[in-house]
Amino acid sequence: MGAALLGLPSSAGAHPHVWATVRSEIVFGPDQKMTGIRHAWTFDEFYSAMAVQGLDADGDGVYSKKELDPLAKVNVDSLKEFAYFTFVRAAGNDNFLPLQPPEDYSIDYDGTLVTLHFTLPLQTAIDPGTKAVTVDVYDPSFFVAFGFAEKAPVKVAGTPAEGCTATMETPDREVADAAKALSESFFSELGPGSDYGSQFAQTVTVQCATQ
Amino acid sequence: MATCVGLALAMLIFASLAAAAQTKPPAAFGAPPQQQAAPPGFAPPPISVTPSAAPLQAKGPFGSLLSWLAQTQQKMQRQLATAVKRLKQGNALGAGLFLAGLSFIYGVVHAAGPGHGKAIISSYVIANEETVRRGILISFLAAGLQGLTAVALVGIMLIALNATGFQVNDWVKQLETASYGLVFLVGLYLLVTVLIRLWRRRQSREEAVHDHGHHHHHHDHDHGHGHENCEACGHIVDARDIAGPLSWRKILAVVVSVGIRPCSGAVLVLIFALTQGLFWAGVAATFAMAFGTAITVAVLATLALGSRELALRLGGGNARWVDAVWTISAIGGALLVMMLGLLMFTASLGPTRPF
Repeated sequence: MGAALLGLPSSAGAHPHVWATVRSEIVFGPDQKMTGIRHAWTFDEFYSAMAVQGLDADGDGVYSKKELDPLAKVNVDSLKEFAYFTFVRAAGNDNFLPLQPPEDYSIDYDGTLVTLHFTLPLQTAIDPGTKAVTVDVYDPSFFVAFGFAEKAPVKVAGTPAEGCTATMETPDREVADAAKALSESFFSELGPGSDYGSQFAQTVTVQCATQ
Repeated sequence: MATCVGLALAMLIFASLAAAAQTKPPAAFGAPPQQQAAPPGFAPPPISVTPSAAPLQAKGPFGSLLSWLAQTQQKMQRQLATAVKRLKQGNALGAGLFLAGLSFIYGVVHAAGPGHGKAIISSYVIANEETVRRGILISFLAAGLQGLTAVALVGIMLIALNATGFQVNDWVKQLETASYGLVFLVGLYLLVTVLIRLWRRRQSREEAVHDHGHHHHHHDHDHGHGHENCEACGHIVDARDIAGPLSWRKILAVVVSVGIRPCSGAVLVLIFALTQGLFWAGVAATFAMAFGTAITVAVLATLALGSRELALRLGGGNARWVDAVWTISAIGGALLVMMLGLLMFTASLGPTRPF
């Protein structure tokens, strides 16, 4: 009994096995609305070695597009059950905006690291306006530790209106949520449906300031 | 314990020597190998061309602790990768020892997370009449078996069957499910045996009381026996009996149920080492890691036993108190093992993870 309590603070999460470096593009359509997110997730060396293991079917030492495509498909197909680890919200609304299955997916392997590229279309394009749209990338169970790249983590792409920006939020803005997180995390960490990973979420804010 | 470390070290030395033999470039014209490795004006190829991630920051009340834990694990994982690769260059023995040390520490830190039977083993030892020594033994056997499972799985599937990494992952998932299912059964078994024992004790006490009550009316009815039951039995020994004696079968049950689940961390290190052509380094790292894991689990199991001991002493030798502590820890421990097994069993049936 004491043991379960001792294990609590580090329970269920605290235990990432896969590390992914995230670079994201916020994609805007011709009508200057945000249509989706294009992700590039680069995995750590261990995971990368595991992922491509046995995929060099012709044994030529090169992992061709043909050899890596099935892996990309398996990855994006199983992402659905995990909400693509991508949580998009319009300001002032707690509900996540629905996403459509990934498009234009592919995998790069540079001989050391695997990078998964894919585009996540929003079901309905949205104008971020001045009220902002936020995008969080995290694994609630923290099995995968997602972290945005140190350099150029996010940018806008496509045809945004003048003044549209995508920026990373600084973590201390979340301090106000601390008390709430305490009561929640304390119990949620006990179960397998843990939301532990959300504590590590970094938030991208998309804004289109009209000047 | 000593054999485990010895084994890991022996493997590392073997791996280092093999690596050194494989990759040491021929020292042509007597030139020292270091100079050959780095020709002037020619930078070594970058290990990675991809951008590095900003350090993970957690918010919330435990934010800084959690950030530290996550960042440390990330740093260690990167160092592990570097250590394996370094085995192929220069000072292989030094790199081997570094890898062993790093794997050990990784194991200690890593085991702070779930899935290493930490909570299960701690609950299990409380539910049983276990000594600290046996708690430690169980922790080490379980961690050792987890390491062995990982090595066997990766060795058989990748070397013998030429499977893909994802097929190995599927097996890890299956074994996890099986492991949690078995943990649940072990908990159930514990609970049933505890309840049966409690019921029997009650029966025999009632009989004893019953005998007493009738003793004036029926002088020839089982008097001596009833009296013995009531007073001759020491209460402490009696209480310990609730938890039930230890048997090798019970130890084996908990060790196997926890140990058939390979640690995913070890599987990843093994596959990585294999792709670097250094499977034995991966094996050595796995056992060094298991040793570290075992220590964390053993410490927690010992703490759990210590708290039960403390609880027993708080009663100041009061027989009813001792009785209650043993009963609660036996039933509570068994219930916890069951609950943990069931929770994780259900969770493991979830959809396949993309990564």
